Amino acid sequence: MDSHLVDVNISKSFGKMDVLRDIKFDVKLNEFLVIVGPTGCGKTTLANILSGIETSTVGSVTMRGEKINPHKHNISLVFQEPSCIPWYTMLQDVTSGLCIKGVDSKTADARGREVIKLVGLEGYEDFFPRQISGGMKQRVAIARAYATNPDLLIMDEPFGHLDAQTRYLMQIEIMRIWEQEKKTVVFITNNIEEAVYLASRILVLTKLPATIKAEYPITFPRPRELTDPAFLELRAEITTQCEIVE
Amino acid sequence: MEGRKEQLKSVFYNLLSIAVAAVFWSLFSAWQQSPFFPSIAQIWKAFIGLITVGDIEGIGLFSHIWASLIRIFAGFAAACVLGIPLGLAMGLWPKLYKRTRAIIEPIRFIPPIAWIPMAIVMLVGFSRYAFLIWLGAFFPIFITTLLSVTRVNPLHVNVVKVFGAKRSYIIRKIVIPSVLPDIATGMRVGLGIAWMCIVAAEMIGGEMVGIGRLILKYAELIRMGEIIVGMLIIGVIGFIMNEIFIIIEARIFRWRSEVSID
Ligand SMILES: Nc1ncnc2c1ncn2[C@@H]1O[C@H](COP(=O)(O)OP(=O)(O)O)[C@@H](O)[C@H]1O
Ligand SMILES: [Mg+2]
Repeated sequence: MDSHLVDVNISKSFGKMDVLRDIKFDVKLNEFLVIVGPTGCGKTTLANILSGIETSTVGSVTMRGEKINPHKHNISLVFQEPSCIPWYTMLQDVTSGLCIKGVDSKTADARGREVIKLVGLEGYEDFFPRQISGGMKQRVAIARAYATNPDLLIMDEPFGHLDAQTRYLMQIEIMRIWEQEKKTVVFITNNIEEAVYLASRILVLTKLPATIKAEYPITFPRPRELTDPAFLELRAEITTQCEIVE
Repeated sequence: MEGRKEQLKSVFYNLLSIAVAAVFWSLFSAWQQSPFFPSIAQIWKAFIGLITVGDIEGIGLFSHIWASLIRIFAGFAAACVLGIPLGLAMGLWPKLYKRTRAIIEPIRFIPPIAWIPMAIVMLVGFSRYAFLIWLGAFFPIFITTLLSVTRVNPLHVNVVKVFGAKRSYIIRKIVIPSVLPDIATGMRVGLGIAWMCIVAAEMIGGEMVGIGRLILKYAELIRMGEIIVGMLIIGVIGFIMNEIFIIIEARIFRWRSEVSID
């Protein structure tokens, strides 16, 4: 349980503005770590630094002791914004990571179709983004992130743009996939119910500049019941911590 | 994709608007009764005359069209060959542009016609035509290419960066596909301007053949029928080329929801 995969110890500022201050935590192998924080506190910035596409101002992110680097490590990021590439068909989009990592096209296509099935989009392989709905696009982004079988899967408010119903279904689905394929996940959200439903551990961030305010291991058995009194109590406590109630 | 019925409708209305324009011209010409405003019958006669006997020097209409087409293509192709790579390079390495813009930008504002004396003293023969047309077509192509690179969505770049994509991959798979539609638009605008430069180019080319030359010849004689035929031919050829461009664009950019029709 204590075998840890990623160590984070960073600060980040844009010019004079401090965004992340002394963010220090680790990510354990196969855990579902959820990071919650209010809008604009620097969650996306943190996700980008974790994935290696943005640099920290101070400190570093390491994976198994080595500085994080997309050219070396197998990382996936589900972006907060809709991120389908307009000129890729669904299959091309989902297999893009595999192609970049040098997997031959036959294997990549087979894996692509498998993941598309996993997120329930069979039959749409040759569709362009303009031909599918917003919820479907988000599933494409998740399928793309899954396809490479990443050692670290980062999800930045992946369900933020979805309606409540789709969001609920996606949460169940992501849980099923996680239990099935056992991955290390860092999941970012500003929805506390979602956090308590999904997490094996929750980190709570403060407002700008973000620091880690609290940490909660979540041990409720899965699948979790949203109306369970213990669930509601923890949810209320974290909500107070987050200062969202004010 | 609009339905078959809708397509037929728009063909019908386009023909109708041509008919309406023709009626207005006929009324106007009948009212004026002047050689400056020939009737449609007279324009048609001039057209047939240009095809069967040729112009005052016996040069047939198709020779004129062909000569102009070759010149347009030469100038336009040169504009594409120089404008697209240069625009891409300056877009990808913005320092190149920032450090040379004081020379590039002023040139952009000099009208091709202002270059005529320079073209006469510097160049001879075919290169004069090609140069003037190139001048007109180059800047729209170059500038749209340059600007399109700066509009590449950084999110799309990040999508592949997370997977460890190299710069060459990002350029091939993200930058190029995202700028191609803009480049196509720039080419379409460039082609339009190329046609606008043809009369100026053929004013100084020296040869007696070319659609622009044809118009100039008959301008000296004040024979409006042939002049109008020349004008209409430039318009129609430009229109056909633009339509072909749009069809090709719709084919290539199937991933896009709409193709601009400006
Ligand atoms: N590239 C950037 N340059 C300057 N400021 C930025 C940049 N990206 C984000 N910020 C600022 O950093 C803060 C945190 O942004 P972000 O990480 O997107 O927050 P969140 O994802 O939690 O909503 C915001 O105040 C935002 O304006
Ligand atoms: Mg964000």
